[in-house]
Amino acid sequence: MPTRSPARLVVALAVAAVLAVFLIYQAVANSSTPTVTPSQIGHQSGKLAVVGTVVGPVTGDAHSAAGMRFALADPNDAKPVRVLVDYHGDDPPPLFQPGRSVVVTGTFARGRLSGTGIITKCPSKYTTSAPKA
Amino acid sequence: MADLGRAALVVTLGLALYALVAGGYAAHTNRRRLADSARNALVCAFGSTLVAALVLLAALARHDFSFQYVAAHTNRTLSTGYALSALWAGQEGSLLLWLLILTGYGALAVFVNRTLLRDLVAWVVPVLGGVASFFAFVLVAVASPFKTQVPPVDGAGLTASLQNPYMVAHPPMLYLGYVGLAVPFAFAAGALLSGRTDERWIVATRRWTLAAWTFLGFGQILGAHWAYVEVGWGGYYAWDPVENAALMPWLAATAFLHSVMIQERKGMLKVWNVVLVALAFELSVFGTFLTRSDVVNSIHSFAKSPIGGWFLAFVVISSLFSLALILLRLPLLKARTKLESALSREATFLYNNLLLVALCLTVLWGVLFPVLTQLVKGETRTIGRPYYDFFLRAFGLPLLLLMGIGPLIAWRRTSVRALLRTLAWPIGVSVVCGAALVLAGAGSSRPGLIAYTFSAFVLATIVVEVVRGTRAVGSVFTLVARNRRRYGGYVVHAAVVLLAIGIAGSSAYGRSTEQRLLPGQTMRFDGYRLTYRGVTRVNTPQALETRAHLDVSGRWNGSIATGTNDYKFPPEPNKKVAIETDWLRGEDLYVIADIRNSGAVYFTVLVKPLVNLIWLAGIVFVLGSLVAMWPDAREQRRLVTRLAPARASA
Repeated sequence: MPTRSPARLVVALAVAAVLAVFLIYQAVANSSTPTVTPSQIGHQSGKLAVVGTVVGPVTGDAHSAAGMRFALADPNDAKPVRVLVDYHGDDPPPLFQPGRSVVVTGTFARGRLSGTGIITKCPSKYTTSAPKA
Repeated sequence: MADLGRAALVVTLGLALYALVAGGYAAHTNRRRLADSARNALVCAFGSTLVAALVLLAALARHDFSFQYVAAHTNRTLSTGYALSALWAGQEGSLLLWLLILTGYGALAVFVNRTLLRDLVAWVVPVLGGVASFFAFVLVAVASPFKTQVPPVDGAGLTASLQNPYMVAHPPMLYLGYVGLAVPFAFAAGALLSGRTDERWIVATRRWTLAAWTFLGFGQILGAHWAYVEVGWGGYYAWDPVENAALMPWLAATAFLHSVMIQERKGMLKVWNVVLVALAFELSVFGTFLTRSDVVNSIHSFAKSPIGGWFLAFVVISSLFSLALILLRLPLLKARTKLESALSREATFLYNNLLLVALCLTVLWGVLFPVLTQLVKGETRTIGRPYYDFFLRAFGLPLLLLMGIGPLIAWRRTSVRALLRTLAWPIGVSVVCGAALVLAGAGSSRPGLIAYTFSAFVLATIVVEVVRGTRAVGSVFTLVARNRRRYGGYVVHAAVVLLAIGIAGSSAYGRSTEQRLLPGQTMRFDGYRLTYRGVTRVNTPQALETRAHLDVSGRWNGSIATGTNDYKFPPEPNKKVAIETDWLRGEDLYVIADIRNSGAVYFTVLVKPLVNLIWLAGIVFVLGSLVAMWPDAREQRRLVTRLAPARASA
């Protein structure tokens, strides 16, 4: 019967632990972004991802210096808070329109979100839309 | 009709529960007739689930809007093909497909192995019955596809982006993969429950695992291609949690497919293999939970549905069951031999496994990170693409290298000198390729250059292996026929190399620009000259199709049109990109248009080198898997001989 060396297990666990710590460090230090709804922004500033529902009117042009402007409300309008967005960058996805759930990434300062990226959520396979009566 | 569907599902639930309870009791008390009866119940559960699925398919084909499900996912303008594909377009229908595949797979697996592995199958039946009971319960009590209503005039229609042939094939492929992983899991659990932890369960489920793994892998390639041609952002994989949900079990299953070879040959890694097969199955259910629970933010905005909690409970209970079972049977899972050298094929397979599992857990960490930060810090933080890209390079590139070394290194032990001698040709080829690539300007991306050089190394090792083998037996066909598993594996390795080259080419060496043009204006980019000619609008019964037309000259000559379709049922816009493929270079010219009322159009032009190798990799991957799975009479005879002693002791 082969004998097992506890040293091997200790080394394996140590390697796993180092890897786990490294993963945590990588994630926290470099790549993570706070993700909030409009009502959760509070006094935060800097890089944010804001999850919300687009509130019209949508004005301006993403390619112009002034950018495209719209507001974001809490999903399902849970709280009556609006965040104003100035968006510059690539065209928003085709599904972008008032009432649609989106995630806008950008920098939040002085009460406005300067957006640089928009993800429009797919009209899901797993959400049901009301059939026409 | 809806009553028939509901009744069929109730029958399925009853049969699955019987398979679970009676099967478990029969296996525990060694009652053969009761075990046969439980097995037959599992087979019949497939029949009743098939009836339920046919009822729903008939309602979809007839546009029977008295079914809430049919009204929510189809309308009268939808073609029959897409109407039938709505079976998996909604939550309840896709769960029904899950159950149909599960009972189908289960029935076939226990039927095929009923004689050769009778003692094992007796325990497999209750495990599969337990999984099927859960899905049948959810369909009967929580998310029934057979809810009825007063029929509306028309239905809501199918989301425009899902009306695409790739989307017809992509979800069922993934389901075939996810659900298929239940079979090796059930056999592993059966082996542990019965206390017969020899290699029989691995041999019996090898093809099942391969098939599930192939479906899952090919399903992901189809999904990536759908995103590329339909979503219109120029990419094919966004590291979205829902995409990752399919990647994670595939990575775990890849590790399992490699490590079982070590157990079969050396009797090692027994604990590791049962952990991997349980991990792959749990991750496949976790993926289903993820897509239906709204616990993480995803571009796939899945609703917060009541089934999320049920799935979480199932994942927790089945994970605890697996863990307890493995711990309980730990004394039976001791290795027959041990690793003799860090320079051996066994060790290389182990490194490969560690890297695959590390990549899998890294992705899982990224998916769960927002949930964990919410729990720990009360603040949701999400992890972006740089995190995933970093770890893909950190783990993926060494994996690529190991894919070349593994098949050529000797079993048990070897020396560095002997290894270098074996790898002399592949190393030479990769060094020459690397130098040529640097001279050709590929040095602009270090990860890209490394990926290309390692790919050349792996391809060279495959060629060396095939040439050596062919010399020995006289013909490449004889060579492959004599060891389909091994050479099928090499074809799959070639597919992974194509995938790596395609990903490296299109991401590390891709180029893009954006420009505003008025009719008659021209832009130049990367050897292409694009002249904007104007906009057309065509009103069809399905959509208002708006297109910006461009004349292209330079590296390719012709005309392209790109724009949007504003669908009417349901009213949704959808981007239509122009993709022109240069097959000789494997490169795409990819143009996205943002058409303004002023007549100006913002064009985003992307050049995607070698991106088509990714889709080609999908085809080669399936071919390689088919070769590895193909029935082999010689292997079957070896199997019968090998299982004979175990059967005698059963």
